[in-house]
Amino acid sequence: MASLSEEVLLVLKKVRQRKQDGTLYLMAERIAWGPEGKDRFSVSHLYADIRCQKISPDGKSKIQLQLVLHTGDSTAFHFSNDSTALKDRDAAKELLQQLLPKFKKKANKELEEKNRMLQEDPVLFQLYKDLVVSQVISTDEFWANRLGDTNNSDSSLSNNKQEVGISGAFLADIRPQTDGCNGLRYNLTADIIESIFRTYPAVKQKYNENVPHELTEKEFWTRFFQSHYFHRDRINTGTQDIFSECGKQDEIGLKSMVVQGVKNPLVDLLSLEDKTLDEGYGVCTTMPSTSNRTVKDSSNSAIIKRFNHHSAMVLAAGSGKGETAGDPASETSCTDGNSRDSDFFQPPVKKVKLQEAIEYEDLKKEKKPKTIALNLKKSDRYAHGPVPLQSQHYSTSQDIINSLNYIRHEMVNYKPNLTQVLCSTTASSAIAALSPGGVLMQAVTQQAINQMVPTDVQGELKHLYAAAGELLRHFWSCFPVNTPFLEEKVTKMKSNLERFQVSKLCPFQEKVQRQYLSANLTGHLEQMLQTAYSKFHVWQTRRMLRKT
Amino acid sequence: MDEEPERAKRWEGGYERTWEVLKEDESGSLKATVEEILFQSKRKRVIESHGQVRLGMMRHLHVVIDCSRSMDDHDLKPNRLTSTLKLMESFVDEYFDQNPISQLGIITTKNKRAEKLTDLAGNPKNHIVALKKAVTTLCVGEPSLYNSLNLAIQTLKHMPGHTSREILIVLSSLTTCDPANICELIKTLKALKVRVSVIGLSAEVRVCTVLTRETGGSYHVILDESHFKELLMLHVKPPPASSSSECSLIRMGFPPHIIASLTNQDAKPSFSMSHLDSSCGAGLSLGGYFCPQCQAKYTELPVECKVCGLTLVSAPHLARSFHHLFPLAAFTESPVDGLQDDRVCQACQGELKDKTAFTCPSCRSVFCVECDLFIHDSLHCCPCCLHSQSPP
Repeated sequence: MASLSEEVLLVLKKVRQRKQDGTLYLMAERIAWGPEGKDRFSVSHLYADIRCQKISPDGKSKIQLQLVLHTGDSTAFHFSNDSTALKDRDAAKELLQQLLPKFKKKANKELEEKNRMLQEDPVLFQLYKDLVVSQVISTDEFWANRLGDTNNSDSSLSNNKQEVGISGAFLADIRPQTDGCNGLRYNLTADIIESIFRTYPAVKQKYNENVPHELTEKEFWTRFFQSHYFHRDRINTGTQDIFSECGKQDEIGLKSMVVQGVKNPLVDLLSLEDKTLDEGYGVCTTMPSTSNRTVKDSSNSAIIKRFNHHSAMVLAAGSGKGETAGDPASETSCTDGNSRDSDFFQPPVKKVKLQEAIEYEDLKKEKKPKTIALNLKKSDRYAHGPVPLQSQHYSTSQDIINSLNYIRHEMVNYKPNLTQVLCSTTASSAIAALSPGGVLMQAVTQQAINQMVPTDVQGELKHLYAAAGELLRHFWSCFPVNTPFLEEKVTKMKSNLERFQVSKLCPFQEKVQRQYLSANLTGHLEQMLQTAYSKFHVWQTRRMLRKT
Repeated sequence: MDEEPERAKRWEGGYERTWEVLKEDESGSLKATVEEILFQSKRKRVIESHGQVRLGMMRHLHVVIDCSRSMDDHDLKPNRLTSTLKLMESFVDEYFDQNPISQLGIITTKNKRAEKLTDLAGNPKNHIVALKKAVTTLCVGEPSLYNSLNLAIQTLKHMPGHTSREILIVLSSLTTCDPANICELIKTLKALKVRVSVIGLSAEVRVCTVLTRETGGSYHVILDESHFKELLMLHVKPPPASSSSECSLIRMGFPPHIIASLTNQDAKPSFSMSHLDSSCGAGLSLGGYFCPQCQAKYTELPVECKVCGLTLVSAPHLARSFHHLFPLAAFTESPVDGLQDDRVCQACQGELKDKTAFTCPSCRSVFCVECDLFIHDSLHCCPCCLHSQSPP
C-alpha cells in the first residue's frame, strides 16, 4: 500500500484496468491503480519510467488513457464513470502532462548517454557484448565502472556545460550585409542571440512575451533591428514600437548606476579637479562651472551614454553569477589594480592600489625565484648501476679490446692445418646455424606468426584481450586493499575473472585446438590471469595471518 | 628620404627583402641592440642554472593553443596558426626526449570556448598526428582564457602531488572572453599549485602578466619565428620544484625485452595491450616488454601499464635526465686578447672571432661563444675532458 508520506494529487474512481473496476491514484512520484475493494495497488508506475501517455480519440465511446513505458510495455486505463468520464480522463491527462516532463529528463538522459556511448565506440560495444551479454558481469557493474571512469574525463559533458562569456563587441559582430535590392541581411547565430538576452534582460522578456504567440521569431528580430532601440540615436518615436519600453528601462538602469558613483578614487573623474586656494584662502568654495551644451554635444553625449550603458550591461551580465558583493579579502589579496571594484574600498586596499600605480616592476631589482637545493646522498651511486649481491665477473672494455686485437693477430698469422679441422658435417651445421634463419639467428628474422594464425581467430583473440584487460584493470585497481568496499570488490573481481576464464577462454581454446593450430594462443592470457590469481591468494593469506 | 619609396615597394610587394634589413642593421638600428639583449639573457641562463636544484621531472603539461581570429594574421609565415603548429611538433619531440616520464596534453580555444585536442598522454605519436590535422581548423571568434584553464584544471587536479602540474598558453589575441571573474580562477590555480606560463604572439597583456606572476610561471612575447622557437624550447627543461611539492617514492617497473622465437617451446604469441584498438599495426608477436606486475605486454617504452597502472620505463630513460643532477660547471669567461697561444676554438676548430672566449676549468681548453652555449645546452659534458680521460 502507499506509504503515508506520499502525497496523493488526484483520485479518480471507476477506472477500469484489464476489465476490472478500480480507482486510479496519482501521487507525487508515481501513478497507481488498485482494484475496487482491495487495499493494495496492483499496478504502479513511477513517472520516471513512463515514456509518454496516449488518449483515445474524442469520437470514440470508450474513454481511455494509455501509458507507454520506456521498456515498451503499455498499460491502459478505461474511465467508466458515466457522467464524468471525459472530465476525469482530461484531468488525469493534464496532471500527467505537467508531471511527466519533470521526471523525464533524469531517466532519459542516462539511457541516452549509455546508448550514445555504445554506438560511438565499437570497442565498448564489443566489450559490452562480451562481458554483459554472456553474463560474466552484470549490467550495473559494467556501467558503474564505465560511467565512473568517464565522469572525470568526459569531454562531451563538459563541453555541453561550458559557460561562455559575452564578447563586448557582439552587436558589432553582427555585420549587416546588403542583399542586393536595398535591404540588409543580419546574420544571427545562437551565440549572438544568447548574448543579447543575457545583456539586455528586457529584450528577453519581450521575446518571451511575444514569441511565438504574436510574432514569429523572424518578425521579432526584424522589428528589433528596425527599431530605433538598436540604432545609435535613440529618438523615442512613440509607443508603437515594442522596444520603446526597453529604452525607458535602460534609462532608469543607467541613472541608478550613475547615482552609485565610482568607488575607486583613482578612477573617479569627478573628483579629479584642481583644488586651488581661491580668493579667500579656501574659505569660500567655488562652484563647478557648467559648460554650455551645444546641439552637437548632446548628440555626442547620447552616443557616449549608450556606449557606457552597453559596457555596463555586458559587465553586469558577465559577473552575475557567484560574485559575492563586497568581498574585501579578495580585493586585498588580488593586488592587480583590477577595475572590478568591490563596494568596500577600505584604506588598506587604497594604499595597495596607490603603491601599484607608482611602482614599475621593470625598474625594481629582479627577484630570483626560490629554488630548493638538491640533497644527494651517496652521489657516486649514480655513476654505475646497482651493485649485485654476488660478485660477478665483468669484462672491462679494455679486455674486449685486448681480445679483439688478439683475434686479429691470430687471423693474420693463420696457417691452415688441414689435419686438425672439424669434420665437414659439423662445420656445415655450424655455418647453417649462424646464417640468417638458422637456429641461433632466430631473433633477427621477422616473426611470421601473423601469417600462421587466420585473421578471424586473431580478431576474436583481440576481443578476448580487450575484455580480459578490462576485468584485470578493475582487479588491479583494488590494490592496495584499504577499505571493506575494496575487499568486496576484489573478491568479486576474482570470481568474475574465473567466470570469464571458464565461459570465454576455455571454449576459445578448444576451438583453436580443433583447428589444429599449433601455437599456444591463449597461453599469455592464462599467464596474466594466473598472475592475478596468485596476487589474490597472497593477499588472502596475509589477511588470514593478520586476523589470527 | 629615399628610404620612403623603398619601404612602400616592400609593403606592396608583400615579401621582405632581407638585405634591406641588414642595411638597417649596419647603420646601428634597434635590431642589433635587441639581439644583444637576447644573447646576454641566454648567457645569463647558462650561468645561473648551476648548483644542484631540485627539479620536477615527472611533469604533466597542458599546452593551450589559441585558435582565434588573430591567428590568421600573416606576420608569421604562412600564418600564425600554421607556424605555431609546426613549432609545436618539434616541441613535442624535444619534450618527450628530455622528459621521458612526463605527459603532455593539448587544448585549443576559439569562439569563446575551449576543447581538448588530445588527452594527457605519454606517447608523442598521437599528439603529432593531431597537430598535423589541426592545421586546417578555422580561426574564428575570441579565445577564452577562463574556459581553457578550467578545462586543463579538470585533469590536472587529479594528478599526484609529487608531479609538477603545468600549463603553457600560446596566446595571440589581445582579448579574452570569459564567463566569470578570472581572478577567482587564478586563486584556484595557486591553491592547486599549477604553474601557468604564457607565450604571447602579439603584445603584453595585463591579465597574462598577473596570471603568470601569481602562479610562478614565465611570460614572454615573441619577436619573430626564431625567437618563438627559443621561447618554446625554454619550456622543455624541467622547472625547479616549488617548496610545497611533496616528495615520495615512485613505483616503476623495468621490464626486460624478451625476444623469443618460434622454436622456443615457451614462446607464447600475444597482443600488445596498447595496440588492441588499432586495426592496423602490430598484430600477434612473440617478444616484447612484459609488465613485471601483471604480465601485460607492450611493444615500446616508456608506457603506463593499462592493466595495473604501473609506470614502465627502461633505465636509459631515467639516465637521460642525469645531467640535471650533475650539471656541467660554467666556463670562465676571459678576453681573447689575453690568451697567449692559439686563437682557435678547441671544439669547432674555428677562429676565435668574438671578444670573449670560455675556458673549461678542468682541462683548460678554450671554446668560442657558440660552442660554449652548445656544450651547456645540449652536450652537458666538455668534449676535451672526455678525450683526455686516460684509459684504466
